[in-house]
Amino acid sequence: MIIKILGSGCPKCNRLEQLARDAVAELGAAAEFDHVRQMAEIMQYDIISTPALVIDEVVKCSGRLPQMDEVKGWIKEAQVS
Amino acid sequence: MNVVEYISMLLQTGLGSLAAYLAAHVLLCLLPAFFIAGALAALIPKEAITRYLGRDASKWVSYPASALGGFVLAVCSCTIMPLFASIYKKGAGLGPAITFLFVGPAINILAISFTGVQIGMDIALARVILAMIFGVTIGLIMAWVFRKDDEEHNQVTNNNNLFAHGAKVPARTWVFFALLLGVLIAGTLQVGLLTNSYAGFTLPGSWAEGFQSQLDDWVPPNPALGIEGVSVQGVLLISLLVLIGVASWFGLNEVDRGYNTWTYTALVLISVTLVVASFKVAATPTGLSVGLTGKLFAEVILIGAVWWMAARRFETFEIQQWLWEMWRFVKQIIPLLVVGVFVAGMARVVIPASWIQSLAGRNTILANLAGVLFGVFMYFPTLVEVPVAQTFLSLGMHRGPLLAYLLADPELSLQSILITNTVIGKKKTALYVTLVAIFSTLAGLIFGFFVR
Repeated sequence: MIIKILGSGCPKCNRLEQLARDAVAELGAAAEFDHVRQMAEIMQYDIISTPALVIDEVVKCSGRLPQMDEVKGWIKEAQVS
Repeated sequence: MNVVEYISMLLQTGLGSLAAYLAAHVLLCLLPAFFIAGALAALIPKEAITRYLGRDASKWVSYPASALGGFVLAVCSCTIMPLFASIYKKGAGLGPAITFLFVGPAINILAISFTGVQIGMDIALARVILAMIFGVTIGLIMAWVFRKDDEEHNQVTNNNNLFAHGAKVPARTWVFFALLLGVLIAGTLQVGLLTNSYAGFTLPGSWAEGFQSQLDDWVPPNPALGIEGVSVQGVLLISLLVLIGVASWFGLNEVDRGYNTWTYTALVLISVTLVVASFKVAATPTGLSVGLTGKLFAEVILIGAVWWMAARRFETFEIQQWLWEMWRFVKQIIPLLVVGVFVAGMARVVIPASWIQSLAGRNTILANLAGVLFGVFMYFPTLVEVPVAQTFLSLGMHRGPLLAYLLADPELSLQSILITNTVIGKKKTALYVTLVAIFSTLAGLIFGFFVR
């Protein structure tokens, strides 16, 4: 799966990336990461504000930091589909 | 004086400024302000405000909502840009987006409370009120100038209801904010009821005065330059701050994943610091006199209420987010602020007052323009514009040009102008920058006229 973090590089976006990486590691999942920092690219997605978590081109959450359980849930979903 | 004496005098002035900024009344402002900022970032869902910023929103709704949003949603500059782009491209359009872009940096809660305590409530209030009025005005002007473009730019999205989602702010959040605001106000309001001592005791011994004069030796107070010197209470507070820093590093860096002992230590230390700062302490020949002030009682009750609510009325994750946001603002801002205060303090001795006075000593158009231009070309990190402004004030700058500087500085950093350019293009950005400069100058002129 491809996990994209949308954010221009502020602490919250970096934290989201860290959460996602930790979740992937803890679940033993296989995932590629991409941190999208350019505003033009970020705006291509249907979000109002960053940070945002996108898995396989589907926006999972935006504008907030999710809980670790939520992130793991999304990753498990993506593994099955 | 020779070079060594000059350098040590500079260092002492820098240290003196820094110590003044770590004094009791500043901590009673900054510490609660960071918690409020964290609460705004963590506890207010963006949808509560963005629901009013959709494509079909009426002007009477979207402009005030943008102004309010700028205040509530945009505590961090990294939040402002994406929201600005979204409102412009997918929401209410250029006008409200510009209003949001302008109001956000101008009414930063941290900057406003800091400005109020350090420079004066008059400037802080003027900054808030004028920023809102001018934000809406600039937005309206730009929307009118580019009204034809607005039809064309509308980006097609898959989800036209992007802004339709709403969210409520629960009652407990309102109460929580009121309590946090109470902690801030109780600590900083200069009113007899709070500042008077109602009881007191004295820690006996002449060590107090001896210690105080030793401190005055190391960091001489200089009322002419506005340097207060370090007090005995100040030393205790500074030590507590260092301990808070260490405990928070281990306890709050990853608090969104869970609490540990360091977390609780940090929170206890922060509460203790606020309480210690509320005492009225003075060194006398007989000992250290400690007064129990009205604000001490108020703070103890309010801080207790805050922690009670946090423990009983909120989800654990909400509180974790609150603490994480608060701490990340501290990490982002405080180190640069410390350096900024130090350098601004030294600048006070280095820059001749005559330069400042001839350039901006009186409330003229040129003086206000000078304030604006300085804000544009000199980039200072968040909150550092306050000690810089204080230095100018003590060197003789008039309050009018000072407000012009304080309004323009957060708005027009090179970085924000560049990003704005990628979102709305050269023509619109150029007009925006020009309008901000004009209105900041105007704001300074008007304000300076009323202030005597």
